[in-house]
Amino acid sequence: MSSSRPLSPHLQVYKLPLPALMSITHRLTGVVLSSGTVLMAGFLIALASGPEAFAIAQICVSHPLGQIALFGYSLALFYHACNGIRHLFWDAVIGLSIPAVYKSGQVAIVMALCLTVALWSIIYFVV
Amino acid sequence: MAQFTLPTNSKVTSGNHYPAPEGATNTKTFQIYRWSPDDDANPRLDSFEVDLDDCGPMVLDALIKIKNEVDSSLTFRRSCREGICGSCSMNIDGGNTLACLKSIDDVKGEVAIYPLPHMPVVKDLVPDLTHAYAQLTSIEPWLKADTPAPEGRERKQSPDEREAVDGLWECVLCFSCTTSCPSYWWNGDKYLGPAVLLQAYRWIADSRDEYTGERLDALEDPFRLYRCHTIMNCAKTCPKGLNPGKAIGEIKKLMVQRQG
Amino acid sequence: MNKSRSMQTPLAAARGLGSAKSGLHHWWNQRMTAVAMVPLVIWMVSLSILMTGAGYEDALVLVSHPANATVLILFVAVGFWHAMLGLQVILEDYVAAEGLRLILITLIRMFAVVLAALSILSILRVVL
Repeated sequence: MSSSRPLSPHLQVYKLPLPALMSITHRLTGVVLSSGTVLMAGFLIALASGPEAFAIAQICVSHPLGQIALFGYSLALFYHACNGIRHLFWDAVIGLSIPAVYKSGQVAIVMALCLTVALWSIIYFVV
Repeated sequence: MAQFTLPTNSKVTSGNHYPAPEGATNTKTFQIYRWSPDDDANPRLDSFEVDLDDCGPMVLDALIKIKNEVDSSLTFRRSCREGICGSCSMNIDGGNTLACLKSIDDVKGEVAIYPLPHMPVVKDLVPDLTHAYAQLTSIEPWLKADTPAPEGRERKQSPDEREAVDGLWECVLCFSCTTSCPSYWWNGDKYLGPAVLLQAYRWIADSRDEYTGERLDALEDPFRLYRCHTIMNCAKTCPKGLNPGKAIGEIKKLMVQRQG
Repeated sequence: MNKSRSMQTPLAAARGLGSAKSGLHHWWNQRMTAVAMVPLVIWMVSLSILMTGAGYEDALVLVSHPANATVLILFVAVGFWHAMLGLQVILEDYVAAEGLRLILITLIRMFAVVLAALSILSILRVVL
């Protein structure tokens, strides 16, 4: 009597290439942004609720932990946006060859990092 | 819940070690997944040291050598040994490909060989492809036309029209792409996967076929087609250099186009 | 030992209940909201830079400006819609049990709608 067939290993053995890693990161950043936008809604509600509520919101945002959270949110935002635009090109069936996928992936990562650094430079050194 | 970890009966344990013959200088170790329905045990990883000076260049050559000289119970599919039949597809060094087209020298260090991922295992490196074949049948991969063929002669096609099926007809149905797709891993029961969708597009793109509308109807489904999230593992892994991701993109474009 | 195995033919299993003949709208809406989000995000990021360290009065002035308020409302509405579509796809991918999946999608959708409504109401309250 043959025993029930095992399932062959998958994530355990597959060497995920860069495009696949970027794809799951796109999903992860999407989830992070969805959760973060809940907090953004909270900020707007605080603004509408009056100066005391708003002051508390501003304290949370200015706190080091709040700044780290905002930094993470902005990095997620820029990555998701840059990679999202890459996805939109793919939906028009542009750039779907393997060399193009790798090249555009590198561009998306670099753009996301640059935009994040640019934003925080402006916040800390200009404003 | 999609299972990211292996079920208990599928976890791989350590197995037997078979050293190289005496005097062999140029050896390479092959770590090979083993499981037999006759043992009442979990799958294991056997390691075989192979003398490369006495072996052909491809991974399939090593597998055949091991089966002939060391362990005749090692079981795998094979036939043409030239990358045209699609039989010897398996996971080698973390990527799906045909063993007869994968050069041993391409792999640095030990060569890990597993069956195609997230598939029921019949024995050793042989996956159960029944469902994948059924999915292929379900898209009706044959010419469908109401217009009869002209007087027992061929249905004509311009050179450009014939070119439209290039990159599609060459598929050897090895299912390397399908089993490399994480969406197929989690939803392979309903998602058709890259190989079947590439073949579906092959018949949609063929100018002689007259059932394009019906073919697109059959594909427009949140699971059958739209589990594809352009992860592109398929095109990366295809041993024949085809691009299922692009074919799927063309199908999605047609879906939009026919809405006007 | 073995659970009672289905005797259905592999082709019947593959054919299942047949194609839903729908799915394009979800895909299209996700792309459309994505395109809309590009200019909205650019505007929002610029607005956030201006809001940095702003006091209560300054924040009110910024938000009540008609252009900013409009963009904020659109950002909230389109953003939550886009997020909702994305989360639905994630649930469809990972939750196999159809009943549970439907419940989760519905719950998250309700949560998103409530939050979007609250946010838009807050913005309107500031403006008016």
